[in-house]
Amino acid sequence: MVQKSRSLLPYITLLILSGAHLAAQNPMHVTHILGFLDAANNANGDLSIHDGALQFQKKDAAPSAQIGLASIQDVVLGQQDRQVGGTPLILGRAATPYGGGRVIALFSHKKYDTVTLEYLDPNGGFHGAIFQLNKGQGDVLKSQLVAGGAHLKHTNLETTHDSK
Amino acid sequence: MIASKTAWLSVAILLILAGSPSQVRAATPAAAQWSIQVDKIDPGDVTIEPAFVVAIYENLLVELGKKHQFKQVFRSGDQNAAGPLLILKTTVQKYSPGSETKRAVTTVAGATKLNVKSQLCTRDGQVVLEKVVNGNVRFFGSNLRATHNLAHNIAKELTKSTLPEPKGS
Repeated sequence: MVQKSRSLLPYITLLILSGAHLAAQNPMHVTHILGFLDAANNANGDLSIHDGALQFQKKDAAPSAQIGLASIQDVVLGQQDRQVGGTPLILGRAATPYGGGRVIALFSHKKYDTVTLEYLDPNGGFHGAIFQLNKGQGDVLKSQLVAGGAHLKHTNLETTHDSK
Repeated sequence: MIASKTAWLSVAILLILAGSPSQVRAATPAAAQWSIQVDKIDPGDVTIEPAFVVAIYENLLVELGKKHQFKQVFRSGDQNAAGPLLILKTTVQKYSPGSETKRAVTTVAGATKLNVKSQLCTRDGQVVLEKVVNGNVRFFGSNLRATHNLAHNIAKELTKSTLPEPKGS
């Protein structure tokens, strides 16, 4: 029984690894903070890699924006701690009596990964773009970009952390 | 009597409002002949997150474009940058990382503060303008909003300044 399970172990490992690879290739749900071509700031959409290009597709099926992976000069990871809920929750907090809004604020925050890209346009103009991803996805995106041909200025893969 | 006073006051306010945009334009007639190239942000000796450096740069391009003060706004390294050109160099002098949660909970703590030195230089390196500008976010908004406020303040300072005539014009 033990021998049988041991013989299956390599196959199971292979299956898990291929599944992880497939999941990594799927579009990632991100928020575009700023700087990626003509995409609107703070727009939600999907980020994917196709044929050596990084593509951002907004949710409303608007035309996608894309850049070549070879034009990316640097990819830096960071972390951000942000309040969730947007304007409705801000108004709700403000309207809560007896300082209750502050207590809500204490619990209504979430950590995100940020990916900062530096890239060049065809004229040599320098661009910077920032994306916000769910926690843990930043590393996956960075490794995909580097595997696709994006350059890195700092190879010591240092992650910057926003204050809490 | 009161009605006539109100009428005069309205006329005075209208005159002030109508006069102010032309005064701003008249203060910088030479600026319209210059194009501007925004250089990469120099973090200096300050430890600042790359996202902030990039956000300052991108917001500067947006804010300078909005003001229509310069003929064209170019990015750093753009090969199309030609004609009378001023280069905007920005060096970070101080950076205090804040916290959105601290701001929401305490109101008084957690401000994100940025202080930069902005220099307008000609192609040959002559500094024509130097300003120290602040950008903060104290109450609402994410930490990166400080970069937007900073870029807005830099563009405002440039609008208020008098620039020299381009050589050969």
